[in-house]
Amino acid sequence: MDLITYLKDQLTLQPQLLWVLYDQSWSTDFLRFYRSQTNYNISKDNQTLSISLYKDKRSYYFTIYEPTRDKIDAALKEALEILDKLPPDPDFVDLEDDLTLAEPREVVNNIEQVPLELKTAILNRIASAVKPHGFEIYGTFICNFSHYRMISSNKLDKSSSSSPIYLEVKAVHKDSEITVLQSFGGEDFAKFDEAEFIYGLLNKIEHCKNPVVDVEAGEYDVILAPRCVAEFMQYLSWCMDARSYDERDSYFEDKLNVQVFPPHISITDDPTDPDLIRQDYGSGGHIYRPLKLIENGVFKAFMCDNYYHHKTGLPKNGNQGSCLSIAPGESSLEEMIKSVKNGLYISSLHYMNFINMKETSITGLTRDGTFLIKDGKIVNVVNSLRFTERIDRILNNVIALENRAHTTAFSDNYSYFDISSTKAPHALIKDFQISSSTHTI
Amino acid sequence: MEHKIKSIIQKLNLDRIQFADARITITDNESIYFSNGFLRDFSSNKESINVGVRVLIRGCWGFAGSNDLSEASIERMIKTAITNAESGSNFKTEPENFPALPATKAEYIFTPEINPFQMDKEEKLDYLGKLATAIKPQGKIVYSMLVAVFERQEKYYANSEGSYSHTVYYNTMPMMLVSASDGQQNQSRTWPGDMSGGRAGFEQFYHYDFENNTERIIKEATDLLKAPTVSEKQADIIIGGSHLALQLHESVGHATEADRIFGMEISYAGKTFVKPEMLGKFRYGSPVVNIYSDSTDPRGMGFHPMDDEGVPGKKVDIISQGILKDLQSSRYIAHKLGLEPSSNMKASFADDFPLVRMTNCCLAPGKGSLDELIASTERGYLVDFTKTWSIDDNRNNFQFTTEIGYRIEDGRIVGIVKEPTYYGITQPFWNACDAVCGEEEWQYYGTFSCGKGEPGQSMLLSHGVAPARFRNVDMIVKI
Repeated sequence: MDLITYLKDQLTLQPQLLWVLYDQSWSTDFLRFYRSQTNYNISKDNQTLSISLYKDKRSYYFTIYEPTRDKIDAALKEALEILDKLPPDPDFVDLEDDLTLAEPREVVNNIEQVPLELKTAILNRIASAVKPHGFEIYGTFICNFSHYRMISSNKLDKSSSSSPIYLEVKAVHKDSEITVLQSFGGEDFAKFDEAEFIYGLLNKIEHCKNPVVDVEAGEYDVILAPRCVAEFMQYLSWCMDARSYDERDSYFEDKLNVQVFPPHISITDDPTDPDLIRQDYGSGGHIYRPLKLIENGVFKAFMCDNYYHHKTGLPKNGNQGSCLSIAPGESSLEEMIKSVKNGLYISSLHYMNFINMKETSITGLTRDGTFLIKDGKIVNVVNSLRFTERIDRILNNVIALENRAHTTAFSDNYSYFDISSTKAPHALIKDFQISSSTHTI
Repeated sequence: MEHKIKSIIQKLNLDRIQFADARITITDNESIYFSNGFLRDFSSNKESINVGVRVLIRGCWGFAGSNDLSEASIERMIKTAITNAESGSNFKTEPENFPALPATKAEYIFTPEINPFQMDKEEKLDYLGKLATAIKPQGKIVYSMLVAVFERQEKYYANSEGSYSHTVYYNTMPMMLVSASDGQQNQSRTWPGDMSGGRAGFEQFYHYDFENNTERIIKEATDLLKAPTVSEKQADIIIGGSHLALQLHESVGHATEADRIFGMEISYAGKTFVKPEMLGKFRYGSPVVNIYSDSTDPRGMGFHPMDDEGVPGKKVDIISQGILKDLQSSRYIAHKLGLEPSSNMKASFADDFPLVRMTNCCLAPGKGSLDELIASTERGYLVDFTKTWSIDDNRNNFQFTTEIGYRIEDGRIVGIVKEPTYYGITQPFWNACDAVCGEEEWQYYGTFSCGKGEPGQSMLLSHGVAPARFRNVDMIVKI
């Protein structure tokens, strides 16, 4: 009998308990590089078995490392003693009861598909391509593989695997530190087109030949790269979470089915999009399905798990905003650039934080390629800039969206390391508020 | 474990390996979270074991980490770390020099006044439950939370030079928050702010006198709903300790991490405006600004007898009378810059790669009490308790918003303002510092969540500060 079955059997002997087992293995191969050379190569793996117990609205969560039958017995005994001493949470009603299984799929372990030798060979070629222009490459080349199984007293038994790849290359000029960024993310390495990747990087380097300029604080027409649109969307999605609604700091608190943005803004959380890193299950093990969050400018739904469904009465969906997609518009990027008389092209954002989430007010900076647009042409690199804005204002000031959406992957690196992806077009925004310059690249 | 880690090092005694080290960490943590007066989460992770092996071959680092301490796993990790270094060296143009250090040995066991893992659980929950009940929604308060995080970490370190250390630390992070709403806007207050972590056990709650601050934060959050905003374009500000710790962290601490100079963090955390040629010359701040990195002070969470590459703990003056003197560095970077390594290489867990990290990064005290500093300020604001923080890639352009500002007129506090925001550029800002309060106001603040590195690591570290005054700071931002 394996240990999971043993643990499940032990828990089933306690009919007064509700419980969830979560058995996860995770590994990464992580190459970090700087100055066109290796910084370090990391391989990591870990296995965790965690258990949530519920009894009379009391709950306790714990983890067993390197489990054995003796360890399981001891941990359960202690957990049951603790559980009886805890105060209840009157808002807890029941565990997730959605038994829907995701469509089975084959997941290739990309740690094996993209070995270190291949990674260093690709990076050597990219480094050689940018070197004649005076640039060196910095960044990360990551492959992860994870698998989990979730079993609960509500008869859930769900498993899922995932193996995302993420390559982020920043080409940095050796003297001026002018930086441009190119990235690839997804689960299928066959979609990585090295020649196109290098072409994209060199194309951006082409725009870096004129002197660096500074711009004054003020309102500018800006073209946001898909990465930036995606980041604003991610921040906004926090306000679309039922927890934020419950904590009364959601911008959307009283805006369900209200026209909040112009009709050309539609945002979906869509795990079925083949260009995005797929999620099989969301919060609590609920099946992850496409969810329209903003449809033609109208706010349609909060992302809501089982707990907050019972607490707030909002419809349950299990979505987590891990597969956000903003619908494209009708303009080409060239048309958008041509339409700007005096504005900016912003490639990437840095260190954003809400000032007041309920108002969607936010501050942050540009980095890795901010460009001045004059009379419809990109003419100079601009020092990195600070903006102070409201996301609702940004979306209400969208003049045009590009006619295609681009996949952008993000290395979620702060509290939990994973790779997620989003899909967004370029966006032309009027009156974007630049609040100060950093005076540096 | 001592035998285990030394046996790993023995297995790494190979000619092709220039240097090797290994770490094992055993970590307990407990997290307790009350929301609106009710216990929402009680989580416990005990004896989480991590192991990591780092090797330097042909000037290139290879690393493998795991939570599996079995012999088979160790053998696999050693092979992987070696392969990672050898393969990585195919993409290496400047092999890393790593001058040898003499072997040292260290042992340190911290004993908290109240062990949070051994104290009676009912007593602990009763105390926290009463606090959570005191701040639960009432009047204009629509949301409240109380958080307690306890960590115990035991670490074993050994390297191929014969250095060995064994340490045990306890750290605690307590915090409470109330959020008030008038239907149009939300304003929140925390106690004691985001930098509440410390090298301590449960006594950290008593240190911050939580019981006597529940009413204060409820009143202030409610009053903020009707409070004005800052009206001046520029003002003199006194920054309170909780927030000044973060100002120091972002604009000096990270800026003087030497790995950033060489772009080792460009891909994620960023770089720095500091350049090697600035050492000994650059006027970073006014003459009252003295900043040091001190991993020898056991009061802070950055204390260690030896860092994660075998360098004994050190106190290093980073800024002396306003002049940049030294940097936080690793052995490799220190050698590259002609400096002594500063004992700042640390990893969060044993299966993390060590990075240049702040330890106890401190602003040295000046003179006088906070009351005296306020009394000597004609007009301005005392700002504290971080709400929003942001700084650029070079650690140059920052903008902060605090939860509250106390308006000062003629040397007295006369009212409050909501969400005061100030911004600036690092060098002129620290040069505008004209006073730092004295020893009587100086204390350690600490965070559990300083993010750096890829894969990301959250570091526990401390900042010793006393409130300080900055003249003519830019204040108004159009939103």
